[in-house]
Parts: sequence; structure tokens; C-alpha cells
Amino acid sequence: MSTNKPRNRGTRILVGVAAAAVGLFGLSGLQRWRDSVRLVSIEAIPDTGDACYRPVSAESTPGAASGNLFSAFEEIPVYAQDAKPPDITRPPVRDILDTAPIYSSVAVDVEHNEVMLQDANTWSIKVFSRLDNAKPGAPPTEPRRVIVGPKTDVQFNSCVWVDPGSGDIYSVENDIGDVIVVFDHEATGDLEPKRKLKVTHRAFAMAIDESTKELFLSVQYPPQVAVYSKTASGNDKPIRLLMGEKTKLSDSHGLAIDTKNKLLFINNWGNISNYRVPGSGRFEPPSITVYRLDADGDTPPLRVIQGPKTQMDWPGAMSIDPATGDLYVANDMGQSIIVFHSNDQGDVAPAKVITGPKTHISYPTGVFVDAKNQELWVTNLGNSSATVYPLSASGDVAPLRIIRSAEEDKVSLRFGKTQALVYDPIREQILVPN
Amino acid sequence: MHGFGFDALHDEICVTSPLAQAILSFRGGANGEEPPLRVIQGPHTQIKGTAGGGNDKVSVDPVNNEIYIPIDSAKVLVFDRTANGDVAPKRMLGGPDTQIRGVAAVAVDPIHNIVAVNSGGAMLLFDRTASGNVKPKAVIKGPKSRMANISSFQIYAPKGLIIAGCDGAVAASSSICAWSVEDDGDVAPRSKIPVQQLTGYTPSGIALDPAHKEVLLSAAGQRVRPTRGIMNTVITFSWPEIFD
Repeated sequence: MSTNKPRNRGTRILVGVAAAAVGLFGLSGLQRWRDSVRLVSIEAIPDTGDACYRPVSAESTPGAASGNLFSAFEEIPVYAQDAKPPDITRPPVRDILDTAPIYSSVAVDVEHNEVMLQDANTWSIKVFSRLDNAKPGAPPTEPRRVIVGPKTDVQFNSCVWVDPGSGDIYSVENDIGDVIVVFDHEATGDLEPKRKLKVTHRAFAMAIDESTKELFLSVQYPPQVAVYSKTASGNDKPIRLLMGEKTKLSDSHGLAIDTKNKLLFINNWGNISNYRVPGSGRFEPPSITVYRLDADGDTPPLRVIQGPKTQMDWPGAMSIDPATGDLYVANDMGQSIIVFHSNDQGDVAPAKVITGPKTHISYPTGVFVDAKNQELWVTNLGNSSATVYPLSASGDVAPLRIIRSAEEDKVSLRFGKTQALVYDPIREQILVPN
Repeated sequence: MHGFGFDALHDEICVTSPLAQAILSFRGGANGEEPPLRVIQGPHTQIKGTAGGGNDKVSVDPVNNEIYIPIDSAKVLVFDRTANGDVAPKRMLGGPDTQIRGVAAVAVDPIHNIVAVNSGGAMLLFDRTASGNVKPKAVIKGPKSRMANISSFQIYAPKGLIIAGCDGAVAASSSICAWSVEDDGDVAPRSKIPVQQLTGYTPSGIALDPAHKEVLLSAAGQRVRPTRGIMNTVITFSWPEIFD
């Protein structure tokens, strides 16, 4: 967090005047100033306009008309800049921002032993060694490379995905961008994506079925799963679209595919309406809906996981253990990772819950099962970190390793998109939705 | 969320749930997973967004106990502040004569009895109780006015000043300006903060703190990437000129 304070421009002007007077009169003539004014530093004055101004016309500036330098030290009127110039050029008095990353999504490249973390605060993808570990007392972990900048088109990013074969890095842009951008594995800095695919507004998460070369994309609203060719680009249309009232999709977020059992899992936040029908809105509890992997059109789910026992609370990313079919869910507001069996349905308790103070989990939105190394990765929106656990972990367990991009006791602002705000004059508080 | 309200008179927060076509009112000090005090939702409400957006702004007039929500089809619905459940709006403002386009931001001045709608690069001013397809009583628009669009704006009613976005394209403002609720036509703003020039950020939301004579702005990196690379911020300017 940083706070900008107003700079004392008046003091700097006074110091400048004192230095000029020394040149004109010598030090003795300024004896009475010496104890009160000292030139301690010279800094460039920012080009932010004047906090004060004085008239510059010949009529209004004493001494100017006479050309007498001594008259320049006569009293002259100085006015605060509130005398009706339309532009206020004072710098801000404060700002609230988080200079640390706010990690929203994680992917692991097991071939290159690298971890990709999606930073929603700087609109970047940071690449770390899979074995990085910021031990207590150690400085924050440095990334190997960072994909960031206006050319990248990475913005309002909600999901990062790594192609297990090529190492290509995919990023889903959830808001204004409305694209999936694809980079080479070695991409770094501010570079244009090698491929862009225009997608529906509010796209959230993706996964690729390598056996069919299909890319699955969840869209929050109107809720849908769009399936594209893996190599789709530009304005290519989906091969098929899972969408409609019977699907029970609602404000869809996390997506996972089980290619062995040919299943598609989507989690839903339960905010429902038909935008074509006024007043059709309603709330339902969050859910996970399960479909055949080739489901198309307005197809009902095979089964639904929903109810208070599930503990679902703003479920985010999901990932599947291909060996067991177990479904790992980043449970953002629940401060947990919850795990369901592949055939669970109804109001069922998670088979496992990873949560507690030892876990270092804080507002988790990203999760990734690394089957090769039998590890579970989690991104923590709340503390600028990614944590890794044994895949068998359950309960309040300490992470095996931590990628930490801030101090150890970091509490993130969790800013996601600070589009609006209100001021509460009763409590003197600023309310910021994300 | 592109705009919401704080009702200091009744100490309540008013927000929308855009995808569920609902308006929610919470305690002012609400914290954690606290249920709303009231929910306006259902077929009688007529609340409607679009496939790509909408239902994401709401304003409160605590003096007259009303809630304003702009909806799709270029309309503004007005509900009783205390309404709960599936209730019809008290009135609707919309139609070709209103000049309201799209889902526009709304603010109310309960002292001068003005409702202002920021739409299509114009500030449309109506009588507070205007209803149906009526012409605005004044329109601030044009190159001298520098009027632009912004996600949410405010009216400082004691001084009758509209604090909104200016110097921008249709979808973004690089500065914020102050106009009078008495202004009409292509009228220059009374004062301006060139926010992007000073900070690198494009403002999207505006809040006022009259007690400290400050204006608070939110920015989320949209449209123009801030040079410092941090996308999300809340910026506070001292602006006594609009409060004194």
C-alpha cells in the first residue's frame, strides 16, 4: 500500500528564493535567515501546475515595470489557486493501492518444471520455478520472467492455462478484452500474443482436451460453456455451445474436464436471470453441474452437487486428479480447498477439506492438480502467494513450499476491479466493490 | 459493479445483484456474510439488463426515500426505498424524448429537485419526479462543456454542483469536472481535475466527502493503462472549491 502526501511546494519556492538572495547579497546580509532556512536538497519540481500563483502582468507585478531588481523583493500579492482557473492541478492527497501481485489463477508446466501465476493487479503472468520456496525470513520469490504490458492484451485476467505439450501459455480475459490470448512458452515482457481468440464477454475459465484438441471455456453470463477447436483464433465460432435453462448453468465460473471418464464439471454461483425477460431474476445456492464431455445445446446435467453440506461459497477454479477423478475446488469465501468424488451428487459434504491457519490459504481462487509430482497448487488472493501441498493433504496442513511475492504477513487489498466506490460519512470509511 | 449507493440518512448500503436482477439493501455497517435487510426482485420489478451488462448501477435519494436503477431499453426505474420483494416501480423515466440511451448512470439532487442522467456524452437534467417519455429540462453537452461518460457520478446538493466525468471518449473520462444543476447547453465546467494527467489513471467512480472537502475516485486500469503498472486504485483529491 502506498500513500501520496501533498508536496510542500511553498517550502521549495522559499528555498529557491533564499538561494538566489545569497548570490545577490552575500551570506552576511542573510544572517537573520540562516537559522531558519537551509538549502538541504535540490529536487525537480513536478510539472503539476502551481499550488499558488502570482499575477504576471506588468501592471500587477511590482518592480517589473521599473526594471529594478531590488524591487523584486518587495511584498507582492500571492493568491491561492482558487481564483477561478478551471483546472485544479494539485496532486492527489492520498491513494490506496496494492503494489504486490494479487494472484488469481495458477497453472503448472510439468515438462519445464515451471509455475505460471496470473496477477490480476498488474495484468501480468509471472513464471516461477516449480521448486521455488520462500522460507520464513527469506525475501519474496523472484519470477524467472513476466509477461506484462499493453501489447500483451492481458487484462482483467481470470485464468491461466499451460499446454502440456508445447508449453504455450493461454490467458482468459474476463472483461473488456473478451479474448483468449496465447503466448509461446518462452514469452517474456511486453509482446503481442501469438494468437488471439475473440470470446463472449465474461469468459472465466478454460481447459483443453488434448485427445480431441478441443478448448472448453466457461462464460459467467449468459451462462454457457463454449467449445472451440484448440487452434481457433480471431473470430472463429465455437464448435458447440452448452447453454439454456435445462443446463442449470448460472453465473458459471470454474471449469474442469475429466478426459478419462469423459465428464465436464462447471461450478455456478446461483445468480440467475434471463436477460430477455424483465424481472426473471432469482437466487439459488451455488452448485457444481456435471455433464458428458460432448454435451451440447440445452442439455440437463447428469448430476448436481448443491446444498449447505457442500460448503461451497464463491467457488472459483477447479482441477481434477486424473488418477482418481477427484474434483478439487478453490472455495474463495470459504477459505478452503474442497474436494468431491467424481460421482458425488446432491447435498454432499466434501470428501476432503484443506483449510486452517497452517495452510496459509487466504481467499483461494486458483487451484491446480500436478498429477506427475502428486502436488496440489493454490493461489491465494488474500496474501500474494501460491502454496503447494501433497495431493493427499487434508485438514490444517502446512504447505510444502510457498511462492511468496510480498512480506510474510501480507494482507492483500484483494482489489479485483475497483470500478466503483462510495463514502460512508458515518464511519468515515470508503467502500470498494470488487 | 459499476455504481452503488450509501444512504447516510438511514445508514444503509444499496447495491445491485446484476445477474439476478435484484436490488439489495444492507446495514451501513454490514460485515462478512450478512443477509440484506431488503431485496427488490421479481416479475413486477421490471428490472432487466443485457447479455453484456446492465443492472450494475444504483443510486439512493434518502431524503425522498427513493432508489433509482437504470435498466436496459434506456430506462430508469424508481422504487420506494423501503420496498421489499416483488414490487412494481413507483415510476419509470424513459423513451425517445428523454434522450436516455443505454444503461446510464443516475444521481439525484433532493434540494433542487433534479434527477441527472449521464447518457451519450450528455448530462440530462429532469425534474426529480419526472415520469415517462418526457423531455429533459436541461441538457449539458458539447465541446465547451467537455461532458463525457463515467460509470457513476455525484451531485453535491448544498451547492447544486454536478461532479462527473469530462474530457473523454464516450466510454471513459480522463478528468472530472463540476457543473451547476442550473447549467444548460454547451456550458464550460466550473472547475476541473485532470485526473489522468495528474495520476495516470482514468477515473470510473466518484464519491464525495464534504466534511473533509475531498473527492474520492476509483480506477481499475480500464481503457488507458496506468504507467505505474498497478491497475486498481482509489485516489483522493482535496477539492475545497466545490464545497466552499
